Amino acid sequence: MIYLLSATIMMGTPLLFGALAEVIAERTGMMVTAIEGIFLMGAWAGFVGGYLSGSLTVGFLAAMLAGLLVAGLYGWICIYLKQHQVVTGVAINLLVVGLCSFLYRVIFGVPITPLTINPLATIPIPLLSEIPLIGQILFNQNILTYIIYVLAPLSYFMLYKTSIGLTIRSAGENPEAVDVAGINVLRVRFLTVLLAGVMGGVAGAFYSIGFLGMFTTNIIGGRGWIAFAICFLGNWNPKGAVIGTLAFGFAEAIAIYMQSIGNSAFFPNELFIALPYIMTIVLTISRKSFSVPAKLGVPYVKEN
Amino acid sequence: MGTAFFELRGISKYFAKVIANQDVSFSIQRGEVLALLGENGAGKSTIMKILYGLYKADEGNFFKDGKEIKIASPKEAMELGISMIQQHFSLVPAHTVTENIILGNVRGIIDHKLFREEIKRLAELYGFELNPNDYIRDLAVGVQQKVEILKALYQKTNLLIMDEPTAVLTPQEAENLMGFVRDFTAQGNSVIFITHKLKEVMSVADRIIVMRAGRVYGDIKRAETNELELSKLMIGRDLKWVTKDDRQESLDQEVRLEIQHVTLQEKTGVPALKDISLTLHKGEILGIAGVSGNGQQELCEIVCGAILPTKGRVLLDGEDITERKIRARIDLGIGYVPADRSSDGMIMDMSIAENMLLKSSYDKKWQKRGFIDKKKLNQYALQEIGEYSIKAPSPETIARGLSGGNQQKVVLAREVDNGEKVIVFDQPTRGLDLGAVNHIHQVILQERAKGKSVLLVSTELSEIFALSDRIAILYKGEIQGVFNSAELTTAKIGLLMAGFREGEVSNDAG
Repeated sequence: MIYLLSATIMMGTPLLFGALAEVIAERTGMMVTAIEGIFLMGAWAGFVGGYLSGSLTVGFLAAMLAGLLVAGLYGWICIYLKQHQVVTGVAINLLVVGLCSFLYRVIFGVPITPLTINPLATIPIPLLSEIPLIGQILFNQNILTYIIYVLAPLSYFMLYKTSIGLTIRSAGENPEAVDVAGINVLRVRFLTVLLAGVMGGVAGAFYSIGFLGMFTTNIIGGRGWIAFAICFLGNWNPKGAVIGTLAFGFAEAIAIYMQSIGNSAFFPNELFIALPYIMTIVLTISRKSFSVPAKLGVPYVKEN
Repeated sequence: MGTAFFELRGISKYFAKVIANQDVSFSIQRGEVLALLGENGAGKSTIMKILYGLYKADEGNFFKDGKEIKIASPKEAMELGISMIQQHFSLVPAHTVTENIILGNVRGIIDHKLFREEIKRLAELYGFELNPNDYIRDLAVGVQQKVEILKALYQKTNLLIMDEPTAVLTPQEAENLMGFVRDFTAQGNSVIFITHKLKEVMSVADRIIVMRAGRVYGDIKRAETNELELSKLMIGRDLKWVTKDDRQESLDQEVRLEIQHVTLQEKTGVPALKDISLTLHKGEILGIAGVSGNGQQELCEIVCGAILPTKGRVLLDGEDITERKIRARIDLGIGYVPADRSSDGMIMDMSIAENMLLKSSYDKKWQKRGFIDKKKLNQYALQEIGEYSIKAPSPETIARGLSGGNQQKVVLAREVDNGEKVIVFDQPTRGLDLGAVNHIHQVILQERAKGKSVLLVSTELSEIFALSDRIAILYKGEIQGVFNSAELTTAKIGLLMAGFREGEVSNDAG
């Protein structure tokens, strides 16, 4: 049980990175539908950077840069060229899949056994980690988990208590009001998309070098989309994103646990692996009221 | 007259190949109220958006107190003391009054309490009743406008530009606004307001700039002109306005359409329509007056069958049609010209002919061996184009390419044919130039003369008065009263539109 809850927090970490990135960007009206590709590019760059340099820090920096580049491409096409956000995102996601497996082979060839590196170690926090139960679950995690649980309340504060947050929220509700107030709508949107790219890159690298210690092209397997769904289910609010993340983290933890004990007497393993995805569908349908940013997905074009 | 407060010299603006403004020059003095008068599409809003930095001028210069200035963005305009209230307010409905006012005017961490107090004080100073914590989506349009004005005052504006500010107000609210304009300019500030209403211009402006087709056609002191001269400058020709004398009294008093105790409950629990009962006779125009958003659209949609009432019945020639589908009602002869033609009335990327076919596409008369009989359809469309003097090269012309007035005529032509018995007009002339308005008014009167019944929803009182036999006033989904149009005055109808009941409206107001 302790293992399950601890794994919940850990598996929730990259999802929360992605979901918060999505919340901030979507509040300005930008659905970052390239999130799956950003995750994958981050996973790839994190592994390559980490493997070649031997330093996980370099790996994560490379992942941030890779996420930034993918997000930059997406933002440029959607915001400045005013193309459709869903279509553009899907195209970029497909592009990244091909790009990653191609570049992986260019660099490493086709290794007989998969290349591995040591993933991110856990850092038990002195004293706190020794509290029974809670200590194991909350305070024996890796650095990224600690960072994201600091970032979550910070992003809430930023959105609701600062001028930047007010601008971000207004841009998704009525960009014209932002424009008339003398703020560059396109720049606000582009910057948040770039931020989402950096956070999404870290999230992707979590899978390759934070957890598994290796890279495969199906390493993300739709988890970017899950982060995307958490943003919806969390009602575009960091608080909701945290709750949603824990639910999905738990589903993933169960899947991993069931796989590890190999108990398939009653249920096939595949069912548990599919659990997070089934949950996405069930929750999305059952959710009743949403406060969708009014201009979500709509490019801002000045009328003439 | 000393140096002008602000001056525009030779401003031109081109959108693609279309000339929006050409060589526009005028100035505004401190403490002056300037009216920018012109028809829709005359370039009034564009020139003001240029002054406010939303658009970039292609040619020309700006001066403040005689010194040349550059205005590249709204931010720079605000720093010069210019504020502009857009025609469609630029407020965020999901945010509070406070959040809307401070947007773009704060840095760092927001001290909500401090700003609330500050805004409350500012509102009291100008006698605005406002709660800074209210959400914009809960406020009436008139109050929303006050929020827009406060936003400008909060930025310490000296030149306030308002785009069609009275379009959404009751006559009394408009009068209050004019009161504010006088107070504000008495303190040495200036106001430019964009309008196409001559009456308004004559009551509040010190000086009038008349625009037509992107150019300035007149720069006149109010005291030196009159409505007739202004309307000629504005339109560029004379118009003969329809008046009540143009028509015969309605003889037929047979009831055609009856709306009995209709109530419409919204999902939120608030009724959009409350116990509405109206009768419409043959050959009669029943005007529905009221500020927009008081249930007019819902009423129209119940008549044409787009929505079902929660309670009550609709009868056509004594037959209960409450449960009839839209298509059945079209067959029964109910036509509907919706308020928003671009979203509800037509398909912009289809041709004129296709749009005319839109509501009777299933009709056998358009078919030939299962396919659309293009030849017949085009012939019909061509005939309608002639009859309604729609300015279009052919029936194949795509609707989007037409002017607003001509698009509306296409919808009108179709619905007049559909509506053999009843035609519902929801704001048929909104946003159109005077020539098109005049034409549409004539069509409405012609159909009445043929014995058709007309339900006319309009927020323009002049339109209601010019056409209606009887007038019903709608306020928050309730009928405030039904009157013969001769019984009503602008002042009285204004009070009814603002929610006062007949008993509460004294005869002094009349």
